[in-house]
Amino acid sequence: MSLQFRAGFRHLLRHPWNLLLPVLGIALGVAVTVAIDLAIQSSREAFRVSSETVAGRATHQIQGGVTGVADSIPALLLRETGVRALAPVVEGWGSHPSEPDRPLRLLGIDPFSEAPFRPYLAGGPGAEVDGTRLLTERGAAFVSRATADRLGVAENEAFTLLVGGGLVELRLLGVLEPEDEWSRRGLRDLIVVDLSEAQAVLGRGGELDRIDLLLDEAVADSVLERIRAVLPPELRVEPAGSRERTMEEMVRAFDLNLTALSLLGLVFGVFLIYNTMTFSVVRRRRHFGTLRALGVTRGGILKSVLGEAAFLGVAGSVVGVLLGILLGRGLVRLVTRTINDLYFVVSVEGLALPPDVLLRGGLLGIFATLLAALPPAWEATSVSAREALARSTVETRVRALIPVAAGIGVGLLGLGGALILLTERSLGAAFTGLFAIIVGAALVVPILTIVLVGVLRPLLRRTVGILGAMAARGVVTALSRTAPAVAALVIAVSVTVGLGVMIQSFRGSVVQWLDVTLQADLYVSAPGGVSARAEGSLPEGLDELARGLPGVVGVSTYRGAEFDSDYGRTRLVGLDLDPRGEDAFDVLERMGGLSDEGLFERFRAGDGALISEPFAFRHDLSAGDTVRFASARGPAAFPVLAVFRDYGAEMGTVMIGRVAWDRGWDDRRITSLGIFLEPGASEGPIEAGLRSGSGSELLEVRSNQELRQLTLEVFDRTFEVTRVLRLLAFLVAFVGVLSALMALQLERSRELGVLRANGMTPGQTWGLVTAQTGLMGLVSGILALPLGLLMAVIMIHVVNRRSFGWTLEMTVSPMLLAQAVGLALAGALLAGVYPSWRMARTSPAEALRDE
Amino acid sequence: MNRTVSFGLLAGLVALLAVAVWIVVDGVGDGPDARTHVRAGLSAAEALAGSDTAGFARAMAPRPFEFPRDHGPHPDYRTEWWYLTGNLESDGGRPFGFQLTFFRSALSPTAPDRPSAWNTNQLWMAHFALTDIEAGSHIVGERFARGAAGLAGGQAEPFRVWLHDWEIRGLDDSGAFPMVLEVEQEGVELRLELDEGKGPVPQGIDGWSQKGPEPGNASYYLSWTRMPTRGHVTIGGDRHTLRGNAWMDREWSTSALGEANTGWDWFSLQLDDGREVMFFELRRDDGEPDPMNHGSLVGVDGEARRLGAGDVTLEVLDRWESPVDGALYPARWRMQIPDEELDLTITPRVADQEMVVSFRYWEGAVTVDGTSGSGPVGGLGYVELTGYAEDGGTRGAGSGSE
Repeated sequence: MSLQFRAGFRHLLRHPWNLLLPVLGIALGVAVTVAIDLAIQSSREAFRVSSETVAGRATHQIQGGVTGVADSIPALLLRETGVRALAPVVEGWGSHPSEPDRPLRLLGIDPFSEAPFRPYLAGGPGAEVDGTRLLTERGAAFVSRATADRLGVAENEAFTLLVGGGLVELRLLGVLEPEDEWSRRGLRDLIVVDLSEAQAVLGRGGELDRIDLLLDEAVADSVLERIRAVLPPELRVEPAGSRERTMEEMVRAFDLNLTALSLLGLVFGVFLIYNTMTFSVVRRRRHFGTLRALGVTRGGILKSVLGEAAFLGVAGSVVGVLLGILLGRGLVRLVTRTINDLYFVVSVEGLALPPDVLLRGGLLGIFATLLAALPPAWEATSVSAREALARSTVETRVRALIPVAAGIGVGLLGLGGALILLTERSLGAAFTGLFAIIVGAALVVPILTIVLVGVLRPLLRRTVGILGAMAARGVVTALSRTAPAVAALVIAVSVTVGLGVMIQSFRGSVVQWLDVTLQADLYVSAPGGVSARAEGSLPEGLDELARGLPGVVGVSTYRGAEFDSDYGRTRLVGLDLDPRGEDAFDVLERMGGLSDEGLFERFRAGDGALISEPFAFRHDLSAGDTVRFASARGPAAFPVLAVFRDYGAEMGTVMIGRVAWDRGWDDRRITSLGIFLEPGASEGPIEAGLRSGSGSELLEVRSNQELRQLTLEVFDRTFEVTRVLRLLAFLVAFVGVLSALMALQLERSRELGVLRANGMTPGQTWGLVTAQTGLMGLVSGILALPLGLLMAVIMIHVVNRRSFGWTLEMTVSPMLLAQAVGLALAGALLAGVYPSWRMARTSPAEALRDE
Repeated sequence: MNRTVSFGLLAGLVALLAVAVWIVVDGVGDGPDARTHVRAGLSAAEALAGSDTAGFARAMAPRPFEFPRDHGPHPDYRTEWWYLTGNLESDGGRPFGFQLTFFRSALSPTAPDRPSAWNTNQLWMAHFALTDIEAGSHIVGERFARGAAGLAGGQAEPFRVWLHDWEIRGLDDSGAFPMVLEVEQEGVELRLELDEGKGPVPQGIDGWSQKGPEPGNASYYLSWTRMPTRGHVTIGGDRHTLRGNAWMDREWSTSALGEANTGWDWFSLQLDDGREVMFFELRRDDGEPDPMNHGSLVGVDGEARRLGAGDVTLEVLDRWESPVDGALYPARWRMQIPDEELDLTITPRVADQEMVVSFRYWEGAVTVDGTSGSGPVGGLGYVELTGYAEDGGTRGAGSGSE
């Protein structure tokens, strides 16, 4: 090992804080990115494995329309089209009463069609599923060993399942134990039953979810042509996996948001490294001078400093990756739950650990460290052998750089702004712009610090006295060290402000929307359901029953279905709207010349659709355009009467009048009811009347307030990940600030020793250090506010709009801003505690002794 | 000291790296390639073979048959089949043999209670074979489907029995005959029209065919022994117009074979003097001829004479080894019916007519030649041999056959 490397490492070892804090900072930064990456990949992986296992070897699929695929289609295809291998599938979701949050996939299959698709589900000798018993025994089910253990059910034992239609009893006939890991993973949380059982349990007699097809490549095209010729117009035949791709497409914006947030953590880590390396280089100028005098070349010095940084980077990244795995275990649950709430059901067991994700996280940490160390390393090479420069020259040079940095910063701010303003839909551009603005702001921070301290100095002198003025001076004169610390703190606080304002605005918008939307007094839906979205269908005639109950003045009925249309995955709703419910629509845009009355008149007559804002945004539709769907009775076109505000479904919702629904589909089902009561009528008897009249004790009957509460709970749940990330980002930044301030103050021990020797008391020393860190905290807090608000504006009006298509009302609470400044101040003061305690305790002689 | 510390740090880092690598390696599961190891296989043979007869209807005694009702399925009985075989010849003299069988199996006495069109206790299986005698090839197909949602089923009026797109049905709504047969398998298309010809011939005692000594180990068994047939086959892209005679067996039961049976050899012969012979021999695990063996000889006028176990002698003249696993099947026979002065040699038209399906058996076209009294007699027919291969069952009926 060469001299300069040994010297460098010895330096690190002798200053353990210089070693530990940056390692911790990098580790945290890497950990957050890795954890988010792992959580995203795990949910994707779980989705993919389960859909691939369940899709089996199918080459094509026929996806159901609004009312699924009719029972008669498989026989039709087998007779008329030359299809030889097909497997009808009915799928639903349920959960075990002991773990209602954990979705279980109920897979209804025809065991005698399964051999070409999912051999392990085919009924017969050598197969794992006993097709005979599936077919002939009510409640017969097969699950994997792991699922059986988790449900705590043994073979030939009964178990209860909570599904859309209520509680059902199944019987475990046997355990599926595929020999390979892949299938085992795919079978997790899967309950295999016969098609007829699935239809019975899910209350979906008459319809299939899809038909898997295995087409011989050689004849696929001609067979497909024949299939399309005989299929009813609303059914689509697509290559296998296209639906999964659509689903993955849907969560992409969500994933990207998380990833961007996680990268913020790393940005702080980079700041930290930059800060540490700058500091250690500045501190060792004399040392580098000596090395140069001993004949070490500039290149040698560069290598040595970068070597140190690489060491820190590797150590931090390794720790970070391990920490990220730990953190990921917690985050994956949050991420999965959010996906379940917003998009589709996926059940993730444990964290997948794709090596590429870990490697990517580790390398990102190392390269970011090296990048951050490059400027200080360059700085170190500029030390000539002759001069052992005093700090003052460094500071002079840094001061000279400040306007340059500010110039670059302003440039970046402008670039970021332009990127955001000049693009319309690109989410990538929005995030790139946001990052440019953050980095640009960081570069502008030093010059603003000087200005702000200049303003505050007279104030401090008057209130705190000479020590206050000294503290203020110290901040400005030691800018090479204080600037990165202040910048890091500014970014950290502004991110918490930005995210905080965004979440608050979002919540405020949702609350407002709920107040408008929830017009009925009681809401009735089928029991169960894994996500917050209403699933299943209500007992027949419940709407008529409700209308007949005393105290009920009106009923709206709602039939929702998610299906694949030309617009991708779509939520279509058939709404029989009671006039009292008209106010529930917060109309953002309406067809020209249409009055409120005219709008709902046309809607009720089935002549037109109301589309939600995200749907309009995603498909670039406005009022007056036309949406088209393939109905069971041929193509149906609806003019868009209005665009309404909706935060309920990210994919977007299209509502048509019940009349139009019934015209297009032979489907009498109702998903939920909204019931309007006479003023003063009490809800209890109505609820009891519905339950007893329908004979369904398990009906979900919720009051306006309960549903509002429930929706907000789901909302808060979906933002839990964001909150955790916000906290983590701040934590990393705090470690950075802590390390910068501590190093700064510890490095001043000589200076403070002089002051002590000149008669400064330990108390005064403490006061000086505290005043200085406090000042930096205050400055950071003040500078963070405008940047935080700017970030909030971008996240609310650009990122959210581009990701999810909805507009939010921005609301800023002064409390949140005060909190942010307080946070910065408290953080900085906390960081000053140890150095000031140590300085106050050290005797001047000790402090003055050279290293 | 510094060196110690840095070594310590280095060791720590290495240890951390090792842990990371271990976690990574541990987390990597088997890829999709491992899927190929999933055990495959589908056979309804098991389903067809159950031994619990409780709750099913039994063939306890002769019964009157009524048409068209009895052309349709009898779902209370566990097992039933529509068994068509025949030797046909193209305009150009090219000979073909065909078999199309629909097996119905009730998996339980009653269907469970589920509000679903897919709900049923009936499982259907169909086998198809075409023997291209000149080419020496034997094309085999097998299908399964539940008897629900239109996938498979049978009905008396209008007559129709089908599984996916394989089907037999009445040509028009007037009845089962003329019967249309349509089947397609791997590019082979067969479409035939079959007249009723001679039948129904009741087998056993007025159509009650006892197979085992225990009461109820019997089936209802009717044969149409000579059905004039015409139609066409497309094979290898060539279409041949066909003519010939088919044979249809209709049989339903809940349990047929006795405990000691290991399989059976079944013969259906159409002699060129206008008579037909049906005879089956149940093989016992002790090698003795089963006293339940029986058959019939159908005269030119359609009148059947019952053949008992002692009326027919069978001698195996040759054997054929299955290329699948070396299972040995009888491959040529001498059949003597002394009372009728019939001495026949029965020879497979193609040696390999093994049905390699979910349970293996041999079913193939044969030629007959020999003497009737003092004159020569020839003919064509079909032979079925079950229980010879390891995984072979018996004509779907085999309770306790293995």
